Amino acid sequence: MYKMMQLWTPLSTVFRRVLPTTCCLASFTANSQFASLSSHLQSSSRVPLRYGLDFSPYSKISLLSFCSQSAAKLDSTTKRCWNCLAEATGSTPFLYCDSCRSIQPVDLSIDYFKIFGLEKKYEIEVDGLEGKYKDWQKKLHPDLVHSKSEKEREYAAEQSARVIDAYRTLSKPLSRAIYILRLEGVDVDEEQTVSDPELLTEIMEIREAVEEATDSQALNQVQSRMNEKLEETSDSFANAFQRRNLDEAVTCLCCSCNVIMGSTTLRIEEMITTDV
Amino acid sequence: MLRLMAKRLLGTASRDIPSRPLQILPRLYHENVIDHYNNPRNVGSFDKNDPNVGTGLVGAPACGDVMKLQIKIDEESGKIVDACFKTFGCGSAIASSSVATEWVKGKSMDEVLTIKNTEIAKHLSLPPVKLHCSMLAEDAIKAAVKDAEAKRAKMNGTLKGADVKSG
Repeated sequence: MYKMMQLWTPLSTVFRRVLPTTCCLASFTANSQFASLSSHLQSSSRVPLRYGLDFSPYSKISLLSFCSQSAAKLDSTTKRCWNCLAEATGSTPFLYCDSCRSIQPVDLSIDYFKIFGLEKKYEIEVDGLEGKYKDWQKKLHPDLVHSKSEKEREYAAEQSARVIDAYRTLSKPLSRAIYILRLEGVDVDEEQTVSDPELLTEIMEIREAVEEATDSQALNQVQSRMNEKLEETSDSFANAFQRRNLDEAVTCLCCSCNVIMGSTTLRIEEMITTDV
Repeated sequence: MLRLMAKRLLGTASRDIPSRPLQILPRLYHENVIDHYNNPRNVGSFDKNDPNVGTGLVGAPACGDVMKLQIKIDEESGKIVDACFKTFGCGSAIASSSVATEWVKGKSMDEVLTIKNTEIAKHLSLPPVKLHCSMLAEDAIKAAVKDAEAKRAKMNGTLKGADVKSG
């Protein structure tokens, strides 16, 4: 009986999560199977049995097996809307319930690639991102939920912020690369010093070329050289990542960083030169 | 309303200095940094292929800074007799590498390895966001020493080999 009691508490918390709070709080119809249980509970722990559920169809055994499932496992297998209990359709990520049009709380297991319906790989169609991003914001934007509950307004703020973050991360190649490595458990430390002599010598030469350039044509030449280098590193990153050689991927990333920063300097120089 | 205005008028009349509006202090580079930036010491290059020259080349991906620090070693004493640098980066990075070249002159290679980035940062009063510049300078010193030692070892190796051959 005590064991039954221990199992009962998690079940009540499970139902509290699954059932809507607006559900009618009808008096609990204790049937013969649970009469003894409820009396036991009332004597020891005052677990409120608020939900109007009729347990008669369920046998004691099936209920026990139901109880033995952990609450967390139940939540992940059947994703339901907190508002209308509609089940999530497998096709689109469950950020928004189409049945009752309510925004769902943030689920961190849905990564940025899933939000945009993309495969988890480095090379993606960047053109399609903006459209999908706007489609999401039409449903999730906080401006649309002014009249709704505070809880939903919070969900809207968090969800739309996450979608914005996802869009920004995936649209730029460098941030996309860093993110995809993070998903694999590799954290790229950009603060770490790079001492690859070949790469640094090349960067040094490029920087010197920028400094010594006399006109915008020379700068354009350096720019095209930089763009080539960037494409090279981008390709080698994609290659390394596909082969799952993550160390190599990180190295390529550092190369990209350096080249990108170098090209930024180049643009500044260009602006200065054209002004003069 | 009138009383308040009168009070204010009287107030301004009695005060000699008008009250200054709230000033937001701008974040300034320390004068040491500005000095190193305006009057750079030891900018230049040594011949990379000189056996007595150690070259340290380091970079920071986060900001794209590249730092080249070169040291000239005296063959007999093994001490650093000259140093030069070339840095592409922010004022703090340039100043850090400049300070590094100043501090390594006249010291032995083991001694310069004890130079810490915190000392450089303190000398230049670097803000927390620029501490990685001093770290880069420390790494540049270490890289230069490593290169110089490798060259010396290689030279000694070839010399020893030559001795064995002749002997």
